[in-house]
Amino acid sequence: MRRITKVATAAAALTLLAACGGGGDDDTSGGGPDDVKVGVIPIVDTAPIWLGKEKGFFDDEDINLEIVTTTGGAAAVPGVVSGDFDFAFGNVVSLMVGAEQGLPLQFVTNGTSSAGVDPDFGAVLVPEDSPIQSPADLAGKTVSVNNLKNIGDTTIRAAIEKDGGDPEDVKFVEVPFPDAPAALTKKQVDAIWVLEPFMSAALADGARVVTYNYLDMSPKLDIAGYFTTKQYIGENEDLVERFTRAMNKSLEYAGENDDEVRDIVGTYTKIDEPTRAKMVLPVFRPEFDEPSMEQLGAAAVEFGTLEDEPDLDALLP
Amino acid sequence: MTSASASPPVSQTSPPGLAHGRGIRLPSSVLGVLGIVGFLATWELVVRSGLVEAEYLPAASTVVREMVEMAGTSEFWAALGRTVRTWAIGLAIAASAAVVIGLVIGPSRFLRRATHSTIEFLRPIPSVALIPLAVLLYGTSMQATLLLVVYAAFWQVLIQVLYGVGDVDPVASDTARSFRLGGLARIRYLTWPTALPYVMTGLRLGAAVALILTVTGELVIGGGGIGTEIALAQSGGAVPQMYALVVVAGLIGVVVNLVARVVERRALHWHVSVRREAL
Repeated sequence: MRRITKVATAAAALTLLAACGGGGDDDTSGGGPDDVKVGVIPIVDTAPIWLGKEKGFFDDEDINLEIVTTTGGAAAVPGVVSGDFDFAFGNVVSLMVGAEQGLPLQFVTNGTSSAGVDPDFGAVLVPEDSPIQSPADLAGKTVSVNNLKNIGDTTIRAAIEKDGGDPEDVKFVEVPFPDAPAALTKKQVDAIWVLEPFMSAALADGARVVTYNYLDMSPKLDIAGYFTTKQYIGENEDLVERFTRAMNKSLEYAGENDDEVRDIVGTYTKIDEPTRAKMVLPVFRPEFDEPSMEQLGAAAVEFGTLEDEPDLDALLP
Repeated sequence: MTSASASPPVSQTSPPGLAHGRGIRLPSSVLGVLGIVGFLATWELVVRSGLVEAEYLPAASTVVREMVEMAGTSEFWAALGRTVRTWAIGLAIAASAAVVIGLVIGPSRFLRRATHSTIEFLRPIPSVALIPLAVLLYGTSMQATLLLVVYAAFWQVLIQVLYGVGDVDPVASDTARSFRLGGLARIRYLTWPTALPYVMTGLRLGAAVALILTVTGELVIGGGGIGTEIALAQSGGAVPQMYALVVVAGLIGVVVNLVARVVERRALHWHVSVRREAL
């Protein structure tokens, strides 16, 4: 009996401890560096921020940077809105959709852009023996994307239309990038859309490129960036400015040092060395390309991902 | 009944009392190991024979090798520690809350009826459906995963506690009343001993559910631990490592179950069901 009482007391104490350990606010007042928490997905696209942290670009701006990895993009927007993250990495279409739903989100810096040349770092692939030769042939077929109503299906529909096919007559199914090559091998879908490192893996398995859909839209297409809420920007002007400076420096540095990008990717992902050495890297550059983003917004409206044209002035820094 | 298996040579000096017409009696631990070996061998054969491509499901030997390699890294042990800690805290919160609430609701017919429909409504809600809410409340921290764990394990224990409290012998209950036992004394000498076997069953069920939700939460929300490592291995195309981690998650489950059984035997050493086993 006494032992059970002890167990119960210990459990109650644990409960209290857990209750007290919640929701630490990271307000740093005083002279020290500012704590900044950024939510990112651990993929090749976020290499610049890891590299910039390692190079001390954030320390130089008196920022104590904490990078938090989220496993899916789904946590990025709620994380920023709830104030858990100061900034997060998110793709352009996700933010357009968020803004349309009334979330006051705004990019502070660019993040990832199309490689701008063939080969790009993502592609629509088919089996070697597939009758599909060009985007127009995708009409009437089933294509996998990692998220429906997002940047993948929007750019692929645009590519089909550009090639003279019917963009409405294609069926998209949701398959995560890691599972897509297997789905293609098993012929569960007619074509897959994947990014690196899975593009290289599928090509090594004998898949064939139909099109680089980002490149089809624009060689300057921006895919994702680092964002926060307008409220946060209003309340922390100086800090946002410093973060932007450090982040832009990181993007420039990553854009100029491919080998260091390939190395840093090995520290926060589990992509093995041979794959890192040969995979196609995105372009990293600080400035957004507005014309290509207008194109993307128009395509998103045309294919029903968005209701109205996005207000880019409100969305971009 | 004679066993259908080809009887292996049994020593002729088998002790009396074991001759129930069975071939041989192996201790359950040996049988458990045999089961695992059989499973691994089947897995190896399925891959080697080309039924599935090794690229998508590596052979068992590859995965075991990967596990040995992983065990040499500090990151692995840190992730394992994190998962076990989240599981333990989650289970402790869920179990203590469920026991307290169960002991309050259980004895009162009015409260039981008033809460019955609510409990039945909330219980089947899958914890995983609460992920967006958890992220909104706690971001990608351990607390978000804890919310899922507590929610899932709480109902498992609560239902058992309610059954246990309802199982009090009416004669004993009347006796306690005529002896004028107070509220706390009633719980201590009457309700608690009656409910304890049920509570232990609830704990064992809750422990398994809590582990599943811990790994799921880490996998989907992030925030470190074995689940997050699985997601990372998956998104990096490191297939053997991913399966090695999945096997580790399974092994934690085995250990959790063993520990739960030990706790149960200890806590119920006086109870007839355990005493009969321990003859």
